Amino acid sequence: MEARRVLCHLDDLEDDSTRGFDPDGQGRDTLFVVRKRGRVFAYRDECPHYRGTTTLPWRKDGYLDSSAEFIVCAAHGAKFEIETGLCVHGPCLGESLPTVSLSISQDGKVIVEC
Amino acid sequence: MNIIGPDLLVFGVDNVDDCTLFVTDYGLEGRGNGRFEALDGTGLLILPKGDPSLPSALDTGTTLRKTIYGCGDAQTLDAIEAELKKDREVKRLEDGSLETVDDLGFTLGFQVSTRRALALPAEMVNAPGASAKRPVNSIGIEKDARPRPRSLSHVVYFVPDYARAEAFYRDRLGFITTDRFHNTGPFMRPAGTDDHHTLFFIQTPPHMKGIEHFTFHMGGPSDVMQAGTNMVNKGYQSFWGPGRHLFGSNWFWYFKSPFGCNMEFDADMDLHDDSWVAREAPPGADTSQAFLLQYREKWAPMGGPPPGK
Repeated sequence: MEARRVLCHLDDLEDDSTRGFDPDGQGRDTLFVVRKRGRVFAYRDECPHYRGTTTLPWRKDGYLDSSAEFIVCAAHGAKFEIETGLCVHGPCLGESLPTVSLSISQDGKVIVEC
Repeated sequence: MNIIGPDLLVFGVDNVDDCTLFVTDYGLEGRGNGRFEALDGTGLLILPKGDPSLPSALDTGTTLRKTIYGCGDAQTLDAIEAELKKDREVKRLEDGSLETVDDLGFTLGFQVSTRRALALPAEMVNAPGASAKRPVNSIGIEKDARPRPRSLSHVVYFVPDYARAEAFYRDRLGFITTDRFHNTGPFMRPAGTDDHHTLFFIQTPPHMKGIEHFTFHMGGPSDVMQAGTNMVNKGYQSFWGPGRHLFGSNWFWYFKSPFGCNMEFDADMDLHDDSWVAREAPPGADTSQAFLLQYREKWAPMGGPPPGK
């Protein structure tokens, strides 16, 4: 059953940065948000290369390439568009990161439904 | 040909600082100018991707720019040069090493090996009935141990034509196939080592061509577990392992890395000679490992009833 969860406040997310979250207390981050030019996007931390059985970053919150232009999977260098989650380079070319429904409340809470 | 194995992997990356931090925490020692070494002097060279000294990148953008093999003697370099000059350019660089390109487009170097001979004991275990054991009063494990990688072990390439790759390394450089996964690729060792493999190929579509992972030999399974645990405790993320492979019998633990490929710890790989007959298996989870474990935070079952009882 999907639930609305408050992850953090918008002010906690710097521009061109990412942050992983573990809303279900699984002991590892299962989704992440990216803030880019003021907009915020959320995806499951599951690389499509192995049908969602592996996570992306080489260390906590390490989801972006050095230019902060793409989401990157450290296992084999797949690059994903931040705005769409579409893989544009690497093993899972043409596939997409699973999206997570996200909204920002009027008082700036970052809320996901998952 | 007396090729021993990889001496140095050369990377061109856009995140030198991240890669430097990662390999330092992995246990390699910085030698300056982007060079990082294991205990025997084999290692990595990490340069900014625009560095003019780097060979050109594969069109897939893989960060590996060159694999430099160590050879046992100068005669082997001469033999490689003579063989490969038949159908491609082979450069002699200022340091006396060779540089060329394999049939798949990977840049190769060959040098008289610079690795140092190691004289270190392997991890020793006590077992009933076995005469070789750890000395009395010698402690087996230290909680704060920081085992260091001993030697560059192997490199794995994603390739679009594993048969062509196998033929090049077999027919032109004298590599030997020790085992293979059907329709995937062979494990290969050069003639100058008895390690089960220093090279493995995985068949993929052309857009994936590049490095899949690389790894260093550790002193034993406890080293793999301890070094991997140290990485987890520093916030690095496991990709696969710890476990023990079937082909090669090597213990493994893979970590995602800022190189855009996995970096592994391995230990206790099988050794083979020319009498070995290569095995074949279909690729898959059941043929890739004898067992697979997963890290969890330290925990202990303490005595007594549940709290409050």
